[in-house]
Amino acid sequence: MGPLEEMLLEIKDTSELMVDLAYSSLLYNNRDIAEEVNQLDARMQELENDIQEMAVQNAVEDRDIKKALLIIRLAQSVGEISGAAMKIADVVRRDVPPHPVIQLSLRETDVIITAVTVGATSDLAGATLGKIKLATNTGMYAIAIRRGRRYIYGPDQYTMMMEGDTLYVRGPEDGEQYLRDLANGTVHLEPKDLK
Amino acid sequence: MPFFDSPDDEEDEHLTVRELLTEMKDISEVIVDLAYAALLFDSQEIGAEVHHLGSRMDTLNHEIKIRMMLASRTKQDAVQLSVLLQVAEGAAAISKAAGDIVDLLELNPKGSPIVSLVLKEAEEKIRLQTLSDQSDMKGKSLESLSVETETGMRIIAIKRGIRWIYDPEKEVTLKEGDVLVVRGTEDGFERLRRFATGMEKWPVYPQEES
Repeated sequence: MGPLEEMLLEIKDTSELMVDLAYSSLLYNNRDIAEEVNQLDARMQELENDIQEMAVQNAVEDRDIKKALLIIRLAQSVGEISGAAMKIADVVRRDVPPHPVIQLSLRETDVIITAVTVGATSDLAGATLGKIKLATNTGMYAIAIRRGRRYIYGPDQYTMMMEGDTLYVRGPEDGEQYLRDLANGTVHLEPKDLK
Repeated sequence: MPFFDSPDDEEDEHLTVRELLTEMKDISEVIVDLAYAALLFDSQEIGAEVHHLGSRMDTLNHEIKIRMMLASRTKQDAVQLSVLLQVAEGAAAISKAAGDIVDLLELNPKGSPIVSLVLKEAEEKIRLQTLSDQSDMKGKSLESLSVETETGMRIIAIKRGIRWIYDPEKEVTLKEGDVLVVRGTEDGFERLRRFATGMEKWPVYPQEES
């Protein structure tokens, strides 16, 4: 993949993470998460500008106007998604207690976004996501990890989880309790789960 | 345009605000995936469904606004309800963006493989998987299967013959020959593929507590 493809992929992934985090900031009425959405937006703007510039430059060279239009408009639409995420997260940054119906609505959906903290005796502490097979074993996907003040976005199978990490996960509600037990160490994985 | 336009769908009037907002959020989550799927598979058909969901979103957004205005009695109410409206606006903006993505089909994305290249490289990919007659997933409802819990793959649509079922409800029962449009990681897809082709039996767990 060339740099243009890389950037398109990054705005797509970032916009999705922003929507996930925006809804989760609402669900937990959490300003830190809402603030993250804000910061990701800055990155989005930067990428969008670079994409536009590069697409135009390519069009000058290879005269493929349709391709340039396609790329620019796609980037723009993806930008709109991140703008919508900003709008949603902005609610949390205001000093208005969220209407209880909002939290109820977010809870009611099939797929939830939740946060769990990794305890010292948890199987997750010191293991990579790949080793634990988090998604396979719990149905929940890690969309981001907070470690102290730092965030790891779009963690992959090589990402190590550590004691005290907060995992932001998305998945069906029925996977939540098991993951929570796993994270606080009250439940452990069996050897067959790790194969 | 009439000011006192009644909602298109009468049954929307019976939905609670909570139900309206839940549906809006659900649509906002599935509609973007569908829009990307339309580009990836160069499908006007999926594109049409994105627009259909988009107008459903507009109806819901309209309905929720009316409710908010009727519910507002004090300044305090208005402040809280405006927040709720902003969330609804956000969900509606996402669906509008999805509609814009689908409109890119007019630019013949097939001719410029860059888009499908990017979509294929994404961390969570969108894929198709046909349900084999060997698979014991057939004849089971999505609710009893909990596909996402078991495999981590999210079913965003099902193609059955010439018919499409978008954002399938829990009650939908899978049939042999169904084409599942799914989204998730490589790992999860491999697991789902084994079940869907019948290479592996769908796991059955003893009495679940809930």
